[in-house]
Amino acid sequence: MLADAIRSESWRLLQNRTAIFWSIFFVPVVGLLVSALGFFLLKSKAAQINGGQLPPELSLGGPLDLGQALASNAGDLANPAILAFLLIGAATLYAGDYRWETWRLISARNSRPNLLLGKVGVLKMLALAAMLIFLLSGALSEVIKAAIFARPLTFTFSATEAGQFGLLFLLSFVRVVQFLMISLLAATVTRSLLAALFIPLVLGIGQFFLGGPFAPLLGLEPGDWLTHLLLPGAAFETLKTLIKGGMAATTLPEGVAIKAIVSLALWSLVPLGAAIAWFSRQDLSKE
Amino acid sequence: MTAVIETIGLTKTYGAVRALDGLSLSIPRGGVYGVLGPNGAGKSTLFRILLGLIRPTAGEVRVLGQHAGDPAVMRRIGSMIETPRFPPYMTARQVLEWLALAHGMGKEAAIDAWLDRVGLTEAANRRVRGFSVGMLQRLGVAAALMTKPDLVILDEPTSGMDPPGIQEMRALIRSLADDDGVTIILASHQLLEVQRVCDRVAIFNRGTLAAEGKVSELTAAGERLRLSATPLARIMGVLGDKGSLDGDAVLAAIPRAEGPALLRALIEQGVDIDEARWVGADLESVFMAETGPARTEAQIREALHAG
Repeated sequence: MLADAIRSESWRLLQNRTAIFWSIFFVPVVGLLVSALGFFLLKSKAAQINGGQLPPELSLGGPLDLGQALASNAGDLANPAILAFLLIGAATLYAGDYRWETWRLISARNSRPNLLLGKVGVLKMLALAAMLIFLLSGALSEVIKAAIFARPLTFTFSATEAGQFGLLFLLSFVRVVQFLMISLLAATVTRSLLAALFIPLVLGIGQFFLGGPFAPLLGLEPGDWLTHLLLPGAAFETLKTLIKGGMAATTLPEGVAIKAIVSLALWSLVPLGAAIAWFSRQDLSKE
Repeated sequence: MTAVIETIGLTKTYGAVRALDGLSLSIPRGGVYGVLGPNGAGKSTLFRILLGLIRPTAGEVRVLGQHAGDPAVMRRIGSMIETPRFPPYMTARQVLEWLALAHGMGKEAAIDAWLDRVGLTEAANRRVRGFSVGMLQRLGVAAALMTKPDLVILDEPTSGMDPPGIQEMRALIRSLADDDGVTIILASHQLLEVQRVCDRVAIFNRGTLAAEGKVSELTAAGERLRLSATPLARIMGVLGDKGSLDGDAVLAAIPRAEGPALLRALIEQGVDIDEARWVGADLESVFMAETGPARTEAQIREALHAG
């Protein structure tokens, strides 16, 4: 049963506090500490320069809007730091049974597709938790900023902004899950924890350079099918721009949305399907 | 007698190596069944096929009347193949809790009872990273049994255990078979243990079945009449190639029915008999006879000197 696989995987992950800390808490905690430290330093330096007084742009900048901070962070939830550190949880989940030779303990009483899909289900929950904690840490950072600079806090969130927030959150979630599918395939094929960690990382870095400095050399145009099919990160950026709207969205070529959606779908479903197919025929006695 | 395992012409090859070579075997329901054989004889390969971990190259296999690896069948099997390993950050209790969830079990998993039954109550809350091989074996057995299976497959269940642990494990295995009606198939190199705990055994050699039957039948086939008597030379003269020296006695390889006639013949020959008793062959001698002799001490010394 898929439910049994999800229950046991999530329970096991909860026992592994090291993996949980690095996967979902490290980035927001460090981000929060760094931003708080930055605010303190800025305040002390600014006060020194300005004869003991905060400059007006810091102290009189008006109320800090938590709603707007949340809205702007929603588009930034699939950032490289979150992706890289979530890979620790992904590698633990996907390759842990090879690492600890425990597949044969659990594979006897459940179907193999269920076992893999159970892991994917738990990883989606982990990704969701990481994104929510990151959003929370962003909001906390605004609260600290308000306290340090003695600025009032406010919360505005229009219906349009709420819709945009929801779409950006969903898009980021899809991008995170898509990225972690590469880890699933790498873990299944190589049976290696390190491969599950580094193959998606190296692929992601490679795709970054392919879409950046090397794009003109390879003749990759922003609106092309090839660009989107090769670079799921570019597809994510395209959809993000379209959701945010404004001038940037109007410069995108016609029909680019469908290319981006197809790209993200293919980069999610093909590794998942390949991993299930491979795993279904795998000799699990050679762990 | 219903069979829990049926294999017909089962073959598994790894490249040029034939781990199983046309194995046909029927394991009856109930009792404890031992699978013996030297390393590489195909025991673990058979177990892996039965558990759906690998697929056979050729032949048929049915487990509890169904195809091996069928999830419905697998739910009725408990197993421990080789030394079990567990996530090292978990305690023994957490391992069983995790497996209970994986198997869709609730409180019926009776985790504390199983920890007690395998002697791990005191170590229940210790992380398994500090466990000895014997403790891992015990936890592996608890993991195999907690689902209350109809069929249990254990590969070297007493490996790494101390003598009291081995004794406890033997008692546990027998009680499962006798009291709970579980069919247990086990592989072990500890032939004395197998002889004590198993009802039937199969002896594998190079992927084929060399011998199969009740332990009592297999050992009875090697039964000898042990004669403490003088003079030994006269006894050997009567027995010819049916006699062999065993210290200051002679072992006569004759059927039980011929015993009285032999004794009469020896007395008529003037042999002074101090003691005559039937001695059964142990499983080790049956095993060695079926799988080929081990190298003698002299052969090993010769090989060492040659090297």
